[in-house]
Amino acid sequence: MSTPNCRIERPPEADPELLRKGRPSRVIELKGVGLRYQLRGKQSFWALRDLNLSIRRGETLGVIGRNGAGKTSLLRILAGILRPDEGVCINHGRQTTLLSLKAGFLQNLSGRQNATLNGMLLGMTWGQVRRALDGIVSFADLGEFVDQPIRTYSSGMLARLGFAVAVHADPDVLLIDETLGVGDLDFLRKSQSAMKEKIRSNKTVVLVSHQAKPIRQLCDRAVWIDQGKLRQEGLPEEILRAFAQSS
Amino acid sequence: MTRVLESRAGRLVALVAYKAYADLKAEAARTHVGVAWWFLEPLMSMAVYFAVFSIGLRNAPENYVSFLLVGLVAWRWLQTAVVHGSATISSSSNLIQQVKFPAILLPLASFLFNTFKFSIVFATLLIYLAWTEAPMGQHWLALPAVFAVQGFGVCGLALLAAGLTPFLPDLRLVIQNLLRLAFFLSGVFYDVEAFPSEVRDYFRLNPMTVVIEAYREAILEARWPDWGHLALVAAAGAGGLVLGAWLLFRFDHVYPKLQN
Repeated sequence: MSTPNCRIERPPEADPELLRKGRPSRVIELKGVGLRYQLRGKQSFWALRDLNLSIRRGETLGVIGRNGAGKTSLLRILAGILRPDEGVCINHGRQTTLLSLKAGFLQNLSGRQNATLNGMLLGMTWGQVRRALDGIVSFADLGEFVDQPIRTYSSGMLARLGFAVAVHADPDVLLIDETLGVGDLDFLRKSQSAMKEKIRSNKTVVLVSHQAKPIRQLCDRAVWIDQGKLRQEGLPEEILRAFAQSS
Repeated sequence: MTRVLESRAGRLVALVAYKAYADLKAEAARTHVGVAWWFLEPLMSMAVYFAVFSIGLRNAPENYVSFLLVGLVAWRWLQTAVVHGSATISSSSNLIQQVKFPAILLPLASFLFNTFKFSIVFATLLIYLAWTEAPMGQHWLALPAVFAVQGFGVCGLALLAAGLTPFLPDLRLVIQNLLRLAFFLSGVFYDVEAFPSEVRDYFRLNPMTVVIEAYREAILEARWPDWGHLALVAAAGAGGLVLGAWLLFRFDHVYPKLQN
């Protein structure tokens, strides 16, 4: 369902006019976006206000900011989970997925069954999940645990399973919220290489983090969100320096 | 076929079915006796009512046990599906804040989950009754229709409850008490037919009275149910279903925000 403040446009492949002009370089655009939460009584709180941001096709954008700056709200708007209360969010027909480790996992089901349920929640058909299942299982490196209930898994194994499903769901835009620190070192390396793979294949990644390292290593552009507003955008080094100086 | 399966509606149906299947599997794996609980739990609750109303009442009419069981089993479907359904969105706040999917998935999967559990208990009851005191006859052909009418109503109420509870969390308590009132007025324990006609019509304003009477007529009394009354219940159920679905789609993007 599209509303004036959250528009999904036709993908450029479906529009000969756009194809002739060349594919648009922007996959999602936020124009003057504000997001308000209702507090008790008549009070309200703006988590985001007057935010303008374009996500470009194929880029890896880092989002940095303090706790409560509005980073998570921003990702939820980009994912289409929340709609702005003011301004517009234009998605140029792209499948956007917020990487959510463990969301919707059922403790008593096996890794394989949870991967199926999670993949379908992320928009895959049952057939697509069945075909991708071997790849997911080997990426997540679960070994013989794959048919065990996930309540027996370590947090690293759960993170690997969640990440593996999200990567195999193959969204056009992958949104990641401070998850790279989850899991063991091997997985960190693997997830980074999977992300680099996404970058090479012209996929778009938005990475939210408190930490400078993943933003410096993985992103080609960064934005700094402060008190619900876009404080600065530019090259990762430049943004990280400004952010470090302010704290 | 592939196009149907890959359409938005096709994906939602597949997702509802898989979620219900996964929830059933997860529940069966949670306890030591697993699937046996699906029978034991309703049996235990029926045993309580049976003890109070059958053994406790010395002048209980003939066939009272079958009469009571049919009413109780049909009531349980409504009770569990609506109470369970009302909590589905509120209790999945973590999920709906992280994954974009139609919120209607949650109450629909819960309805399917409870309907499956009801079906196996109901089928067991029918086998027991056919074997003991109510031999299977042509009037049993009415059962799928009565089942469908009740299904419409139960699903409609479950969707409405699921869609409204996130806005008004206290509604859950109200729903529980309204269900209790409707339970005692539904004729689970007594035969509405035995009341004077002017009172009877008031009881039949409760759709569950009509549904329970229809089950009893078809199974125990070898009679066709009152199709006119059933059609009214079906229409009310369909109305609830449409309103509930509209509510859930209309506020789909609001639910993730309410959970904060």
